[in-house]
Amino acid sequence: MKKLFTLALGVITSIGGFVEVGSISTSAQAGSEFGFSLLWAIAAATLFLAALAEMAGRVAAVGKRPMAAAVRERFGIHFQAIPLCAEFITDLLLLTAELGGAGIAIRMLTGIGFQWWIVPIGAAAWLVLWFGNFDVIEDGIGLLGIVTLVFVVAVWRLAPAPSTVARGFIPTIPGHDIVRYGFLAVSIVGATVSPYLLNFYSSGAIEEKWSRNDLWINKTTAYAGMGFGSLVSMSVLAAAAIVLGPEHVKVNSYDQAALMLAPPFGRWGTTLFAVSLFIGCFGAAVEIAVNAGYVCAQVFGWTWGVNRRRRDAARFTVAFSAMLLLGVAIATIGFDPLQVTLISVALTVVIMPVIVLPFLVLMNDATYVEQHTSGAFGNGLLATLTVLGAVMAIVVIPLEILGGS
Amino acid sequence: MDVIRDLLDQLVVDRNDREMGRVDGIVMEIAPGRPPAISSILIGASALGERLHPAAGRWAATLERWVGVGRERPVRIDTADIREIDRVVTLTLSVGETSAGAVEGRMRSWLLRLPGSK
Repeated sequence: MKKLFTLALGVITSIGGFVEVGSISTSAQAGSEFGFSLLWAIAAATLFLAALAEMAGRVAAVGKRPMAAAVRERFGIHFQAIPLCAEFITDLLLLTAELGGAGIAIRMLTGIGFQWWIVPIGAAAWLVLWFGNFDVIEDGIGLLGIVTLVFVVAVWRLAPAPSTVARGFIPTIPGHDIVRYGFLAVSIVGATVSPYLLNFYSSGAIEEKWSRNDLWINKTTAYAGMGFGSLVSMSVLAAAAIVLGPEHVKVNSYDQAALMLAPPFGRWGTTLFAVSLFIGCFGAAVEIAVNAGYVCAQVFGWTWGVNRRRRDAARFTVAFSAMLLLGVAIATIGFDPLQVTLISVALTVVIMPVIVLPFLVLMNDATYVEQHTSGAFGNGLLATLTVLGAVMAIVVIPLEILGGS
Repeated sequence: MDVIRDLLDQLVVDRNDREMGRVDGIVMEIAPGRPPAISSILIGASALGERLHPAAGRWAATLERWVGVGRERPVRIDTADIREIDRVVTLTLSVGETSAGAVEGRMRSWLLRLPGSK
């Protein structure tokens, strides 16, 4: 019974924690510019994320090591320095974007400029991390995230033709703006498969003391949780396609994205959008910060864990506090959060091979997963997709920046 | 034993299974007429940085001095004090008998000044 509760909680929190600044902005842009035709990118990216998360959970449950620790032990610091630096930069950009996104959400509700809210939001995130235990940080925030289901309700109210939606799951080459289409597909992958999520997931598995007997919980949480979670992202895309597409609204700001909830919810639309954006961004900011603590502690061999007293894991606490402080400092400079988000998610796809490939090697190493190794076919497929994605990103990002089509 | 694979970068725990860091460096002893042997393992950011690049080592050492633990770092553990090398490197010592807890202790003293420190 307790296991079933853990499972249900895991799935629900995955749904609640799925949407944040990256997925909202990329899905909204994709829907408004290309209708339903990029739904396949969300589906493919989610499958990719679920496969990687399941692997991260498996190494944690069987090998009793979180991802960052396993990579250092298997590949040494000379190799790990590369993914570590790459992930640190993208995570910091994403943290800045999440703080900015949360600030914009409050601006939508109050009318007071988003920069004024960055420091209070950072302070609130730190207080959650300072006083909260695992239940608060992981489950509490995930449960609040259920509010993002308003996007699913919106699409249900907007009632698009099922056959039109279904066609979006078949990859097609658009008749216009191929570069933009490719860029958005890459961005959707980058927004969905955030590297911080994988280490956060595996650290959570260690905090919850998963063992071999929990492998089925791991598999179900990864696939069902992320699968249902992606419904929220898909709904953002669909709502944007139905409401913003015909009006030719290009989403250059979150205020424009918020318009997608006006037809289904009337004057409550903006409020619901702002609340969803805030909770999604705030939750992600907390997770990115605590993950920085996890990664540092695991790579350097410090004591870590949000269920320990903070003074008993002092370096871990200082590390997540420093990350949050750095994010707040950069966010207060006042970059446009939407632009930071788009840069961060595109960069994520470029760096993905150095993060994913070593991980796939671990999945075939009996030291870490005993007999629960991954098949060569699945690993080969994931490796190929990772490299293909990165190559595509390297091609379309410069083209997009140069404004070609 | 493969030193690179089985010793370097592995987690070091004290006799009570408390984390002490990772094997960030090793010290070899070369005496005439005898095969080279590992005399001690090193733990600490400066030792780790040194392995990556001399500049990274200097930078890490500056950081350690700034935190106020420059003298205690890197931590040097004699191989005689290693009890077992398996999935982790387990010592016969407790963390308090070494200077491995210096940074943690210094940061704990910072945290204890904050309200609601628990």
